[in-house]
Amino acid sequence: MSTYLLRRFLYMILILFAASLLIFMLYALMPGDFVSNNMKLTAERKAELREIYGLSKPVMERYFNWMNNAFHGNFGYSLAQQKPVLTLFNEYIWNSFLLAVTSTFFTWLLAVIIGVIAAYKQYSWFDTLVMIGIFAAMSIPSFFIGLFLIKMFAVDLKWLPPGGMLTTGSNATGMEFVREVVDHMMLPVIVMTLLGVGSLTRYFRSNMLDVIRQDYIRTARAKGMRERVVLYRHALKNAMLPAITLVGFELPGLFGGSLIIEKIFNWPGIGQLYMQSFTVRDYPLLMGFTMFIAVLTVIGTLLSDILYHAADPRVRL
Amino acid sequence: MKKILMTLLSLTMASSLLLAACSNDSSAPASDNGNQAAPASSSDSGGTTAEANTAELLAGPVAASDMSKLPEQAKKRTDTIIVGLTDPSGAFTPYFHQSGYDGNVSSVLYASLVTVDDKGLPIPDLAESWDISEDGLTYTFHLRKDLKFSDGSPLTAEDVAFTWTILHDKAYDGDSEVSTVLRIKGGQDYKEGKAKSIEGITIIDPQTISVTIEKVNAKALLTLGGNVLSKAYYGKDYTFGSLDYIKKLHATPVGNGPYKLDKFIPGQEVRFIANEYYYKGKPKTEHFIYKTTEGDTWQFIETGEQDYGSFTATQDNIDKLKKLGFLNIVPSTGSSYGYLQFNLEHATLKDKKLRQALTYGLDRKTIYVDANQGGAQIANVPTAPISWSYTEEGINPYNYDPEKAKALLDEAGWTEGAGGIREKDGQKLTIHFIGSKSKGTDIFIAVAKENYAAIGVQLEAEQFADFNALSSKFESRDFDLVSFSTPMLIDPSDGVSSFVNGEVKGYDNPKVKELYDKGLETTDIEERKKIYKELYQVINDDAPYIFTSYRKSVYAYNGRIEGLNVSPFRGLATSLPDWSLK
Repeated sequence: MSTYLLRRFLYMILILFAASLLIFMLYALMPGDFVSNNMKLTAERKAELREIYGLSKPVMERYFNWMNNAFHGNFGYSLAQQKPVLTLFNEYIWNSFLLAVTSTFFTWLLAVIIGVIAAYKQYSWFDTLVMIGIFAAMSIPSFFIGLFLIKMFAVDLKWLPPGGMLTTGSNATGMEFVREVVDHMMLPVIVMTLLGVGSLTRYFRSNMLDVIRQDYIRTARAKGMRERVVLYRHALKNAMLPAITLVGFELPGLFGGSLIIEKIFNWPGIGQLYMQSFTVRDYPLLMGFTMFIAVLTVIGTLLSDILYHAADPRVRL
Repeated sequence: MKKILMTLLSLTMASSLLLAACSNDSSAPASDNGNQAAPASSSDSGGTTAEANTAELLAGPVAASDMSKLPEQAKKRTDTIIVGLTDPSGAFTPYFHQSGYDGNVSSVLYASLVTVDDKGLPIPDLAESWDISEDGLTYTFHLRKDLKFSDGSPLTAEDVAFTWTILHDKAYDGDSEVSTVLRIKGGQDYKEGKAKSIEGITIIDPQTISVTIEKVNAKALLTLGGNVLSKAYYGKDYTFGSLDYIKKLHATPVGNGPYKLDKFIPGQEVRFIANEYYYKGKPKTEHFIYKTTEGDTWQFIETGEQDYGSFTATQDNIDKLKKLGFLNIVPSTGSSYGYLQFNLEHATLKDKKLRQALTYGLDRKTIYVDANQGGAQIANVPTAPISWSYTEEGINPYNYDPEKAKALLDEAGWTEGAGGIREKDGQKLTIHFIGSKSKGTDIFIAVAKENYAAIGVQLEAEQFADFNALSSKFESRDFDLVSFSTPMLIDPSDGVSSFVNGEVKGYDNPKVKELYDKGLETTDIEERKKIYKELYQVINDDAPYIFTSYRKSVYAYNGRIEGLNVSPFRGLATSLPDWSLK
């Protein structure tokens, strides 16, 4: 196990190095830079600014500078936002995380419940209806559901706020503050859950169907166990096993933000910030964020391997 | 069923357009030199039907028709006004921010020495008056008495001198033109570290300061007359060549404008509180909030969460706003213009007759006005209709006239060849168009293709989703025609500078250069009007651009607000101190 971890760790470092080089090249070689965006500047002034920002240096030198600073914990200043990149992450990522973690929780909860019932009552009217519903939810674009829900619940019925994270100008504190955020989260979480629940439900349903036909389930039933116990203690546990690998992959998604959802619901998350930085070619922020996601992805895969091992002793590392 | 499908379809379209519009907006260079503000966030959704609707547009302001429809949410606010703003980043020091939206914020926090009226003419702000020497090189500003910063400290000529000086630092990376375009005497020496201070800046007494520039420049007054930074606050840690310390002060501005910063919540809102030290007196409304609205603003206007919004002036939008009942609606025209630039380095396009033919042969009314439901106006000169320099005298309107276009093409020697495409010396007349991926460009391509086919010209179009990709294609010079729009123009010289500074490559008209220089060499408005009229006539005839349109918008605000007026050049900030809630 420990040699495995050590080996994996070394691979991770290698992968991250390669990824950082690749990502840096990708951004550096894209047409346009932070300065070229501003049409009002003269060519001389642009050259001056490139000098100040270090954009006039050769790409490899810029890469090593960046790496060097990154190792010292300095991910640079965002050119467009005029703030340290890490401060910006701290300001925006938690908002995205809040949405993602809540909706992931509900997605999994619903998917497990619906998946198990649908599998148990395969081809029943419930199963059919759920499958139709799931396909519908999966195929309608998120912005459509989002706008539709805003129109219905915020504009017409006035039950929920139309967007944002707080009521504008509110000075709420304590429980009142929590209440306000929950109100504002409701719609985006519903949309994100609707979008995610489909594929996961189908996943659980098919796993459950596999497990339910196994001999030990029949044995359990033959022993005269209650159906509920058979389902939830014997079958579900094993059906969940493959899903554990998915947990690790959710990790980058939890922090990555969702561009479309954040835009529609005016949510102050990192996805929006990233997209803006892309249009103005704000390299430090782009680089920092993409590397952050890369690190999370690598850690996520490691995590799922370890979890898998922990949950299923048959799997050897 | 069919109806549902249609609704679905149109909603899908609207949303994808919305997304396109958003990405488009942000790709526009949000540059700002500290004393101008981009118009507050505007929304483009809604007007999706391409149905030509030439119904008369809003001619003048419309007052709210039914205040009883005012949402509860808005009624509850008694001392707060909320306006949407796309995306302030938190760097609120004038001259030092990189995003135009931060410029909107700092325009509320800082007053400038000189501001402009609705025609773009200079009027006093922090400076009570100013004198310009006979030779037009020395500007003397007289500050008002007892000016104070928002922390209560006095504002004097020292602060003005400090502001001008710091912009000359070699590490300065903003886009103020004080150090780049104006040549203040001794400025270059300071920048190179040869001098400890700038020779041309003289503090006469605490209320009076004069500055000498090396070359007469009509824009000098407004460029110099920008915001004033507190020397005691922003200059405390200043040493030549290092400006990093100022980044730490971005979030805690000390200003001199109508409001001071209360709280900035990233991605959500910027809260302001009335500044009791403002020289015109404390503003009438205690709280003001810029709410970050990245996407659509409709839902916030409709639910009363936001008091002000700006929209494209399409018939749909206007009707919808009128129906809401509790909004005052005011039409306005922006101070920029849209254009199609010819690549004048291509031999064929050097021919003026061809360029004129392509202008006559393009049905601009259909493309820009009708398809936009009247949300734009045809342009023929490089200045906005709201500017004092605007004129239609002696200007060829180039009304759509395919016959005239054909005649001009014949004259230029392009004759009809195979497949109806004109040829000259065995070369086919094809125009390679590049533009951004947007709804407007889609319409242009669809109509222009037909228009040009009718006069025997083939149009090949290429679109780019990313603004940088478009500009790098533009830099590579592999195009015949490109679609752009100018940023907000304040001085008329801003609108024509591209014809002389080498930006329009291959365009070289000595007359234009002469008139451009002349236009900047005098500060007399009447004189300048004459010069620009002549200049516009020359450019209009030369047709290095096909001028396309001026965007029209409507702004709508809660009927409870009184005293609101939007300056086409300075946005909301000028009238903000007078806003009050009924």
